[in-house]
Amino acid sequence: MNESATATVPAEPPRSFLRKIAWQLRHDEKRELWIGWWTLVVFYNLYGLLFFVITRTQPPPKPSLDPSEIVQWFADRRHGLIYGYGIVFIVGGATAIMNATLAYSMRRMSVSRAFAYSYLVIYALSTLPGMLLMGIVGTVGAMRPDRDPALMVWLYDFAFLSFEGTMGVFLIGSLVWMVAVLLDENGVFPKWFAYLNLCNALTEVVVAPAWIFRSGPFAWNGTIAWWINMGVFVTYTSVFLTLLRRLILREDFGTGPLPELAKDRAPRSSGLLEAAR
Amino acid sequence: MTNAASAQSGARGPLEAARFVPGQPDMWAFVLFEAFVFTSYFTVYVVSRARNPDLFLASQAHLDLRVGVVNTLLLLTSSLFVARCVQAAREGSYQAATTNAFLTMFFGFAFLVSKLREWVVEIGQGFTFTSDEFFSFYYFLTAIHFIHLLIGFVVLAVAVHQLRNPARRSQVIVETCATYWHTIDFLWVLIFALLYVMR
Repeated sequence: MNESATATVPAEPPRSFLRKIAWQLRHDEKRELWIGWWTLVVFYNLYGLLFFVITRTQPPPKPSLDPSEIVQWFADRRHGLIYGYGIVFIVGGATAIMNATLAYSMRRMSVSRAFAYSYLVIYALSTLPGMLLMGIVGTVGAMRPDRDPALMVWLYDFAFLSFEGTMGVFLIGSLVWMVAVLLDENGVFPKWFAYLNLCNALTEVVVAPAWIFRSGPFAWNGTIAWWINMGVFVTYTSVFLTLLRRLILREDFGTGPLPELAKDRAPRSSGLLEAAR
Repeated sequence: MTNAASAQSGARGPLEAARFVPGQPDMWAFVLFEAFVFTSYFTVYVVSRARNPDLFLASQAHLDLRVGVVNTLLLLTSSLFVARCVQAAREGSYQAATTNAFLTMFFGFAFLVSKLREWVVEIGQGFTFTSDEFFSFYYFLTAIHFIHLLIGFVVLAVAVHQLRNPARRSQVIVETCATYWHTIDFLWVLIFALLYVMR
């Protein structure tokens, strides 16, 4: 943002909540970044609501249901699947804004643009196993309840295996982000976030046995393949949302190291971190 | 990785020494997080075992404890060399540090070969990933550890790269790499105790 543009901005936003938002939408030089960040926050919350509450497809049901139970499973959540996945299809395009915001963090680093571009391509692809395939197959099952139960079993397996068992894209995406953070000299993210990416990537490997097992801890609803992974994923998501927010607050639209926030620039006692550096 | 601490000497003042954490503190966050994740895996294993102790005992008997001990000794020896590598680098003996890093790799590789051989033997005897619950855990825990070990070779290569280039040398990064390697060792000792020793 150039100086002539910033000079016209009123000094203070109004105090009223709505006026403040209107002011920020008109004058805040970081408005695009904030829109991207809020899209992430709203989308992840909506994603949880749609998959856990409305469609009731998460936590996943047992993989070992028999055909009549699977037909009943689709019948029990027919409206939830139709309306829930309907919303998923409508808001699915928001992933473009989300991915762009995530990739922006890599563009702000002192690393090659290839990292951001690779990440964008990988995560554009990830919307298929991460959301759309399950939505399409679940909707087919809900909209065609009169089909042969053998087909419903196929749809059920396809829905959950495509959703739970295809984490390779997320694995590579996490590793791309990890390497970018490790190589970055602009201090966009702390290095521990790179290692958290590695933890997340490793848990993506753990879901692979879901293709083999139909019960127990390695099945698609198992303690290891789903519950522990979900714990790591929620932690990872919360952390990167927090760090992205900090990145936007610190952003100076330059190309060098990101400045620290004013409150972090205050002199501190030499703590553990300082001692080790 | 940052080179902010490039060419940092091993000497530290008394105040710094008292507060010294080897390597980047960021890597310790990784250690802590991995410890949580593996603890949850181990908890699931112990609960599953408590539900079906006879099956686990019977299957466990097919593992060769001697191979487990050899694996453990190989990895502990590799950890000894990575510790020596850090010590040598602190003293400025970069040639010795590089040699120790290569010895760490050698013993890590020996562990890797030993583990692959053990898997081949077990599979040859008909004990596969799906044979029973114990062997599912056996292959899962040893395989996820194996992946950590493979990443460890990349990490050690970073350490060697640092040690070999005087302009790039960073004690902090060498110690960070060593911390990762010790984590692999630490996790293996727990896996060994659970799979091979606990009855």
